[in-house]
Amino acid sequence: MSDRADLLQGTLDLLILKALLPAALHGWGISKRIRELSYDVLQVNQGSLYPALYRLEDRGLVRSSWGISPEGRRAKFYTLTAAGRKRFAEEKANWRLFTSAVEQILHAP
Amino acid sequence: MLPDGIPGANGTGLISRWQRRTTALFRRAAVERDMAEEMRLHIEMEAEELARTRGLSDAVALRQARLAFGGGERFREEGRDARGTRWLEDVATDARYAVRTLLRSPGFAVAAALTLALGIGATTALFSVVHAALLEPLPFGDPAHTVVVWSGSFENSGSWMSYDEYEVLTYQPHIFDAVGVYDVETQSVTGAGDPERVHAAQISQRTLGVLGVAPMLGRGFLPQEDVPGANDVALIGYSFWQRHFGGDPAAVGRRIEVAGKPKLIVGVMPANFRMPLDYDERGATQLLTPLAASDSEYGAVPGPALAPGGGSHGLYAVAHLAHGVTIAQANNELEKVASRLIDEGVYTGPTRFRLTAVPLREQISGSLRPVLLILLGAVALVLVIACANVAGLLFVRGERRRRETSLRTVLGAARSRLARQFLTEGLVIALVGGTLGMLVAWLGVTATRAWAPRQLGLVSDVSLNLGVLAFALVTTIVTVLLFALAPSIAATRVRATESLKDGGRGTTISRARLRARQLMVVGEIALSVVLIVGGGLMIRTVRRIMSIDPGFRSDHVLTMELSVPSSRYAEHERVSAFFDELRHRVEALPGVERAAAARLLPLATTIGNWGLVIPGYTPPPGQTTPGDWQIVTPGYFETMKLHLVAGRVFDERDHDGSPVVYVISQSMANEYFAHRNPIGASMRLSDDSAQMGTVIGVVRDVEHNGLTSITEPTFYAVHSQYYRSAHFTPRTMNLIVRTHGEPLGLARAVRQQVHALDPEIPVAHVRTMDDIVSSSIARQRFSMLLLGAFGALALSLAVVGIYGVVAQLVAARGQEFGVRAALGASPAALVRMSLRDGVRQTGAGLAIGAVTALMLSRLMQGMLYGVTPNDPLTFALAMILTGAIAMAASYLPARRAGRVDPASALSAG
Repeated sequence: MSDRADLLQGTLDLLILKALLPAALHGWGISKRIRELSYDVLQVNQGSLYPALYRLEDRGLVRSSWGISPEGRRAKFYTLTAAGRKRFAEEKANWRLFTSAVEQILHAP
Repeated sequence: MLPDGIPGANGTGLISRWQRRTTALFRRAAVERDMAEEMRLHIEMEAEELARTRGLSDAVALRQARLAFGGGERFREEGRDARGTRWLEDVATDARYAVRTLLRSPGFAVAAALTLALGIGATTALFSVVHAALLEPLPFGDPAHTVVVWSGSFENSGSWMSYDEYEVLTYQPHIFDAVGVYDVETQSVTGAGDPERVHAAQISQRTLGVLGVAPMLGRGFLPQEDVPGANDVALIGYSFWQRHFGGDPAAVGRRIEVAGKPKLIVGVMPANFRMPLDYDERGATQLLTPLAASDSEYGAVPGPALAPGGGSHGLYAVAHLAHGVTIAQANNELEKVASRLIDEGVYTGPTRFRLTAVPLREQISGSLRPVLLILLGAVALVLVIACANVAGLLFVRGERRRRETSLRTVLGAARSRLARQFLTEGLVIALVGGTLGMLVAWLGVTATRAWAPRQLGLVSDVSLNLGVLAFALVTTIVTVLLFALAPSIAATRVRATESLKDGGRGTTISRARLRARQLMVVGEIALSVVLIVGGGLMIRTVRRIMSIDPGFRSDHVLTMELSVPSSRYAEHERVSAFFDELRHRVEALPGVERAAAARLLPLATTIGNWGLVIPGYTPPPGQTTPGDWQIVTPGYFETMKLHLVAGRVFDERDHDGSPVVYVISQSMANEYFAHRNPIGASMRLSDDSAQMGTVIGVVRDVEHNGLTSITEPTFYAVHSQYYRSAHFTPRTMNLIVRTHGEPLGLARAVRQQVHALDPEIPVAHVRTMDDIVSSSIARQRFSMLLLGAFGALALSLAVVGIYGVVAQLVAARGQEFGVRAALGASPAALVRMSLRDGVRQTGAGLAIGAVTALMLSRLMQGMLYGVTPNDPLTFALAMILTGAIAMAASYLPARRAGRVDPASALSAG
């Protein structure tokens, strides 16, 4: 259980943090939001979603609590913590750096 | 779901993370429920979405959502992993599994846990005792170089010093750089609350300095306070200070009365203060006063010169060795001093004068030492044996489970996972065994403290030695873990398929490993023999001593010590009137058969001797005519039931105004009246002004100084007449009461009679004569108990060991026995075959044990009585006992060999 996640996991963590940025969401809401934001390109594997959420919670980046969903169901909502916001900013910068580097390589003659 | 109220519960720090994990662990059920609920919700929402967007029926949508989600359990597992509590949960599972497995074979679990418990517990308790007696620092400044000096007069090597001899010692700067001298007695203290009789010492000014001790409060004695006539200061002991002054520092400066004379308290001694000879039942000295010796009272001749015969012996001397001088050198030099004095003609006798210096440690725990050292060795061996036994048990278990291990390896269990599970099992055993072990250690120490006789001073101060407890715990637990792990590593290292292929039949034990275990069993049996021989010798000793006729009857006798103060009982007539009146009052009590008083109680206090003049007897040249002196009131002989041999004993006719009479012991009659009738003969004390008295009776010898010591010629004088024999009347006497019923039941009534006569007189040492007799052999009894208990422990460990080895052999040869049974071997023959090994080890163990015991028991010589260290009966019984128990322990598992079913043994997979 190293804190350095691999690329895929790191990406999922970034997407979850991004999805939670505006408001608290429950697990299914997160997967739906990621799907919508990516125009259905990215399908989050539910099998990875929950472990990722628990891992983020273990690291103190998100926090969870039970509440009532807009659909009127009792559901567990995830919220970003201050540390989570900070981590999102860092991860975003990392990602930008990474993608621009990859872009540069791909555009090289 | 996590309580937001916990500070830092949402932090990213390590602590808050562990806090969350701990919460998750303890609320595991709730967490699991949350997780299931969350996933169910996800699937339902997905299904609703599918139904809405794609127009599927609810049932189909639900199935698709479930398929999309995948196997719930797997994600839950991953979810758990992500929470970081996975391994902790595994430990809990392992522990539960381990407990279940252990409960399935309770024999193994109990044997292992008990072996650990006994190993840890007994080792710690016993080492604590040895530590208290031999290793605990003594409460003196420099105990290694401080000695007690004894003056060996006559046959006794350890006897009192005279003041003149003490003065001789102070003139030997090449041996001692400081010498102190003191006298002990019981003193009545008044003027500080309840009157009390305390153990007191009169010390020369340098004594505390020699011992390297100082008052914790106030000051010690000044040189000018240690001169005749200036003796009006006192130091009090810690417990006296607590009892009478409630620990008030203002006690220093207060006045108390000692034997009716006022003394100024100048200091308080620390709580652990003891004089070097305080390690007996009297306990710590509670009152110190200056000896204030005057030459006229204490020494016959001033300075280094000596009176003929060395003067009156009655003092204890302590000395500090000069720089660089060893005990051996000091004793060598002392011998030279003594022979020089003999050459100078001071001591006219042959080399009867001997000075010996005994180091404090030896003085205090001397005769117990060899027994304790033997036990110390045994302690270490027992710990090794306990470890070996547990290792053996775990080993057998590992072998038995080899097939299970191989199977699980093949099925994909990680080696680390298997090892962890075995380790957990070992941990459970270690935990149970360790806890029990601590309990046993605590019980052992508590029992020792409660039962160890107070004469063994240091031993009765024993406390649980935490260092040793920790050592024993760590040693055994590391052993358990190592051997719990070893089989799992060995088993997993085996090519799993091979082990499975031969169907688990090839579980042969490596020869080397078996050999090691067999050797261990031989050692265990040998150790048992040694300890049981030791215990047996002590049992025989104690029985022999108890069967000695002390010369009096100790049953139904109550005793107490009384002292009348010289201030109010100045005249000797008043002293004897008090004791005469008291014994008559006590005799009038219901339940009392007879009462009397005596200067000293047999077996309680060593008796001293007095030079005699017996007309008609001339001592050999250079010798005197000593007699141990006992002063009694009429009724003493009847109360103590001494056997009258000839003549009559004292009665009411013998009083202050009647002629001086003596009763003598059988050995005095034999020694000094060899060829004549002692009755009617005259004798007097060697003091020239002493009145001549008449011998009126002869009684059987009383073992006054100890049941096993040499009985010296003894004479008895009447208390009220002693003034005319020796110009003094003992003011401290022991009241002796023969009762019809339980003696201590009368203690209150007797005490009331004392106080009815004089309320100011303190009563001390209320005890029965039976107690005195049994505490006089406390050392022997204690050694007997220690050796016996430890022998039993070693034997039970040997039983576990031999049982384990034979069981292991039988299990390993199961298939072979099956073949033999199929070929026609009778069950009895099979049992015999498996027994053969046990017999061989038992035999070897018995032989080695007997030889070792023969060498070691000689060290115990000093403690034995009436039995030789190589007593054949004890050796035979110890070997028969150990042998029989060892054979029984190997017969139980061997029986299984006879029950092997040939068919199942051959086909067993």
